[in-house]
Amino acid sequence: MNNKEDERVDTGVKEPYFWNPRTHEFLGRTASSWGLILLFYLVFYIFLGGMFVLTMYVMLLTLDDYKPTYQDRLVTPGMMIRPRGEAMEILYNTKDTESFDIYAQTLNNFLESYNNSLQVQNNDECPPDNYFIQEDSGEVRNNPKRSCQFNRSTLEECSGITDRTYGYQKGQPCVLIKLNRVIGMLPGKDGQSPYVTCGAKKEDSDAIGELAYYPPNGTFNLMYFPYYGKKAQLNYSQPLVAVKFLNISLNTDVNVECKINSNTLKTGGERDKFAGRVSFKLRITSPKN
Amino acid sequence: MSSLCLQDSYDMFEMNGEVDVKMKKKKKIKKKDRLEGMKKEMDIVSVSKSLTLSPLLPLKSPQGLTSSKAAEVLERDGPNELLPPKGTPEYVKFARQLAGGLQCLMWVAAVICFIAFGIEFSRGTLGCFDDLYLAITLITVVVVTGCFGYYQEFKSTNIIASFKNLVPQQALVIRDGQKNQINAMDLVVGDLVEIKGGDRVPADIRIIFAQGCKVDNSSLTGESEPQSKTPECTHENPLETKNIAFFSTTCLEGVATGTVINTGDRTIIGRIASLASGVGNEKTPIAIEIEHFVDIIAGLAIFFGFTFFVVAMFIGYAFLEAMIFFMAIVVAYVPEGLLATVTVCLSLTAKRLARKNCVVKNLEAVETLGSTSVICSDKTGTLTQNRMTVAHLWFDNVIHAADTTEDQSGQSFDQSSETWRSLARVAGLCNRAIFKPNQESLPIPRRIVVGDASETALLKFTELAIGNMMEYRERFKKVVEVPFNSTNKFQLSVHELEDPMDLRYLLVMKGAPERILERCSTILIKGQEMPLDEQWREAFQTAYMDLGSLGERVLGFCHIYLNENEFPRGYKFDSDEMNFTTSGLCFAGLISMIDPPRATVPDAVMKCRHHSLPHCDHPITARAIAANVGIITEGSETVEDIATRKRIPVEQVNRRDARACVISGGQLKDMSSEELDEALRSHPEMVFARTSPQQKLIIVESCQRLGSIVAVTGDGVNDSPALKKADIGIAMGIAGSDAAKNAADMILLDDNFASIVTGVEQGRLIFDNLKKSIAYTLTKNIPELTPYLIYITVSVPLPLGCITILMIELATDIFPSVSLAYEKAESDIMHLKPRNPRKDRLVNESLAAYSYFQIGAIQSFAGFTDYFTAMAQEGWYPLLCVGLRSHWEDVHLQDLQDSYGQEWEWTSRLYQQYTCYTVFFISIEICQIADVLIRKTRRLSIFQQGFFRNKVLVSAIVFQLLLGNLLCYCPGMPNIFNFMPIRGQWWFVPIPYGILIFVYDEIRKLGVRRHPGSK
Repeated sequence: MNNKEDERVDTGVKEPYFWNPRTHEFLGRTASSWGLILLFYLVFYIFLGGMFVLTMYVMLLTLDDYKPTYQDRLVTPGMMIRPRGEAMEILYNTKDTESFDIYAQTLNNFLESYNNSLQVQNNDECPPDNYFIQEDSGEVRNNPKRSCQFNRSTLEECSGITDRTYGYQKGQPCVLIKLNRVIGMLPGKDGQSPYVTCGAKKEDSDAIGELAYYPPNGTFNLMYFPYYGKKAQLNYSQPLVAVKFLNISLNTDVNVECKINSNTLKTGGERDKFAGRVSFKLRITSPKN
Repeated sequence: MSSLCLQDSYDMFEMNGEVDVKMKKKKKIKKKDRLEGMKKEMDIVSVSKSLTLSPLLPLKSPQGLTSSKAAEVLERDGPNELLPPKGTPEYVKFARQLAGGLQCLMWVAAVICFIAFGIEFSRGTLGCFDDLYLAITLITVVVVTGCFGYYQEFKSTNIIASFKNLVPQQALVIRDGQKNQINAMDLVVGDLVEIKGGDRVPADIRIIFAQGCKVDNSSLTGESEPQSKTPECTHENPLETKNIAFFSTTCLEGVATGTVINTGDRTIIGRIASLASGVGNEKTPIAIEIEHFVDIIAGLAIFFGFTFFVVAMFIGYAFLEAMIFFMAIVVAYVPEGLLATVTVCLSLTAKRLARKNCVVKNLEAVETLGSTSVICSDKTGTLTQNRMTVAHLWFDNVIHAADTTEDQSGQSFDQSSETWRSLARVAGLCNRAIFKPNQESLPIPRRIVVGDASETALLKFTELAIGNMMEYRERFKKVVEVPFNSTNKFQLSVHELEDPMDLRYLLVMKGAPERILERCSTILIKGQEMPLDEQWREAFQTAYMDLGSLGERVLGFCHIYLNENEFPRGYKFDSDEMNFTTSGLCFAGLISMIDPPRATVPDAVMKCRHHSLPHCDHPITARAIAANVGIITEGSETVEDIATRKRIPVEQVNRRDARACVISGGQLKDMSSEELDEALRSHPEMVFARTSPQQKLIIVESCQRLGSIVAVTGDGVNDSPALKKADIGIAMGIAGSDAAKNAADMILLDDNFASIVTGVEQGRLIFDNLKKSIAYTLTKNIPELTPYLIYITVSVPLPLGCITILMIELATDIFPSVSLAYEKAESDIMHLKPRNPRKDRLVNESLAAYSYFQIGAIQSFAGFTDYFTAMAQEGWYPLLCVGLRSHWEDVHLQDLQDSYGQEWEWTSRLYQQYTCYTVFFISIEICQIADVLIRKTRRLSIFQQGFFRNKVLVSAIVFQLLLGNLLCYCPGMPNIFNFMPIRGQWWFVPIPYGILIFVYDEIRKLGVRRHPGSK
């Protein structure tokens, strides 16, 4: 028996595998066989896809629209600057208007929503140094939630109202710093607002010069917290801190790091260089003559 | 004259070498050449007969060679030793372990990783060290598995090496007219050497003087019968002639002097040994399978990699990014853990076999036995015990069967007859064999005896039946004896009787039955002497024929009490003159002997009834042994049997009718390779008799030509070429020669044929289980690959990282896939036919399609469900994820908004990505647990097989879960292996998919059982 099989294999002409005209087989299967297989896989994948969509749907149903289920990764919020430039670098030439105009333009756009008129129109004036808490009462959502005014004028020298170039032309640039929004985050206790301090990285400490913070002390007032999410708090105005470099060294790279100082938030260790801090580079070119 | 002949035989050898070279160059004409080469060799062998026929010239210099001449020749020819076959250098062996198909693919992936790392590092990209780690891990995997395989090979090589006899052999040589004991290595052509009983013949020697010299040629020709050596040339073939003794055979008794005619590798044994090294090693079936499978994997990996490389370029990724995708796809697709799994599975089986006394030299050979379709077994020593044993006795006109089992566990015959006592006395007294002293503690069958095979058999037989023979013989003091010689074909001795009052002498005689009968006038029946008339002669003839047809060697025994008056005490018996009565004796009976099959063999043959072809020594003996052990089954007939049954001449029998066939070496020589193929094809049961080493090789080649996977068992040097050529060569550990062990892939330490059955069983089991392991391992490639494909095409944040993939491949999933090797067989695998290597592949399309596109697809969906769940619950809705990739991975973007308006800096996103890796990893693990459960069986329901029967598998699952937990929750993991501690809920998300896998496969198995053979 064994031998007969061997014989057949041996003597049989090697059948073409790709297309066998005798049996009308394509890659070893007939058209109907292929059809059945394709049909099977079609049904199989539709079923799997259906199951996937169903589980996704069920999963989405369990989600809360206003608050994420977990915020494991957002214990310490990050910080961000405006203008952020290309790759967190602010480079310009005081004599070359175009080189800093883009920064001024960015800031203009960014601060537009902070115009006093808009703020007054949309947001409340809140008592400072206290959290602006708007609890839902049980199942009844207390929506939309109000937000506190953050007026552009608070930024004073860096508001762009007095100086259209935000000090860029004079070599005293303003950089706006914002703390990342995290729903429900309470960044300070005992009525102490978190504040921003900036400093140079080690080797540049001489070059950074004096700094001015707006609002005073560079605080993010507690009344802007907590954040209730973009769906509940439509007109939320993220608090800002402006840093003005008053006499920064020209024609050199200055690496600046700003971090949040809070009695509840911990800034990240060595490994996490983005938690509660932000680093950027400043280079202001100014031809001597 | 002599030197001319020697020259001829040198030519013969070179011819062989030439043929071998040609063989390698041109595959097409290889067989023809091989055959012709063989025939030529035979011609030249017959030319060299002149050497054996030539008159005795060396005696003219009984002084032997002078020392200086000897030194000169030694300088020319080199030492007299077999050069070990050129072993592969160790570093090449190691390099080979590193250069397999999968390994190469991984090297490529590692190189791409290095390149990517180099470019990214020079750009200062964050996270570029991942690529470096990846490259290092890949290389480590290749090197570690390579080391493991190398170590396995090394260990078994060491076992082989330990067999080698390290004691240098001595030879007694006559040089400068003086006898010297020298190292056999220093022998040269022309030396005069003396050998005596017990010596190993130190070189090929032409006998010029011999006295009762007998040598055991079994390691060379496979015959267990001792050959007597005399100065006369008796046969054209040097292997058959009596005046040449061969290197490495043993001189059993007598003394001889001879001239060395060949030394070292030029001896017959050296030629056979080098014939073996010239034969290429066949690739093992499992190696072919793995290659086949690696081709598929490598092809698909490169296909996928390249396709998505093109797609990525098309979508608009940078070239470097596309290259990294390519690398990642290769990493995701190549089953890195498979190498380790296969190696570990095979070595587990090797260990299991080693416990049953089979040492496997080459790991891959473990499986070969399982796919073997033809077993070529050598008779002597493999199927038989390689010792003559008394099988039957004929006395009182009845054939009695003696106990031939190795441990004397069989039935004994009735020993009460008076005739039996006489017969035993003759057998015991007329016998020159003696036990070597100090063996009282050993069981009788295992004691060492000095004497020829049949006398040994008789001695042991009588020792068992009567008791202490040495003492018994002392009671019957021997007066004279006439040793056996070929002219009178009997042996006799005269003894005093044990009763000191009885002064008669007893003459006992044994020899060829017909010669003995001639000398008898009476026959002993039930202790009574009866006249030997026609009726008794007829009875004798029938018994003699019966015993002869069993393939047994028959001896006749008779005795007489010599007349007290004619031969009084002190009579001077003369053994040369034979001045005493040698006719008119009283016939006692016949004793027949055979080299009996091992007790375990018939059973073993029954178990692996495929197709066995033993090479035996004599056609009738071969037939008898084959029938005895069940190679030729009851009811199947040879052509000759059919002819006898139908009473027609042999020529008229349709050869196709015969299932069994016996072919002798002589017939084989005249057959063309086509005829041999035809014979093999038409007779499932074949027996070859008296075949030369070349012919064994041809038989093996012929079987392989017919598409069979051939196993050859053997012990002698004569078997080594066939052992090497076979897909798996099995050598005997005790009886086997070094050459055979070197050529073999597997060694049976206890010489037990039944171990082969174990081997076949284990081989088949490992093939089945490897299939399961591979299916298990392959499945997860899809859920490892799809994240990348989705990542590239849909631009979601990466769901599964390369390092995580490696952790799955090399850490968590290794143990479960290895544990499948412990799975018990689903059904009686020995009842199945051997697999057809052309059709029954290790990995076939349906297995791959099922693993990839069905189970793998379910696993992918499970992974993505869990991934999107983890993302959504942390604030990233599925639809937001789509197209998010470029922002997500932007290191300078510190305020990326999620679905709730929260802002995420880069590190948080990175850790979120690691969380996704972990979640995807967990999903794959959960599904793989379902996968390993379904892979336990291929046809049976898991409920039939039992969940907890395989303890190793259960502990593997526990281990897998523990390791998964360790990876997730051990502090520090996020920065080492990119694992994050995940929320407990996410462990449960993939469970419905795991259950789906389980239920789906149970339904499939139900279908397979209900409708066997479909799809």
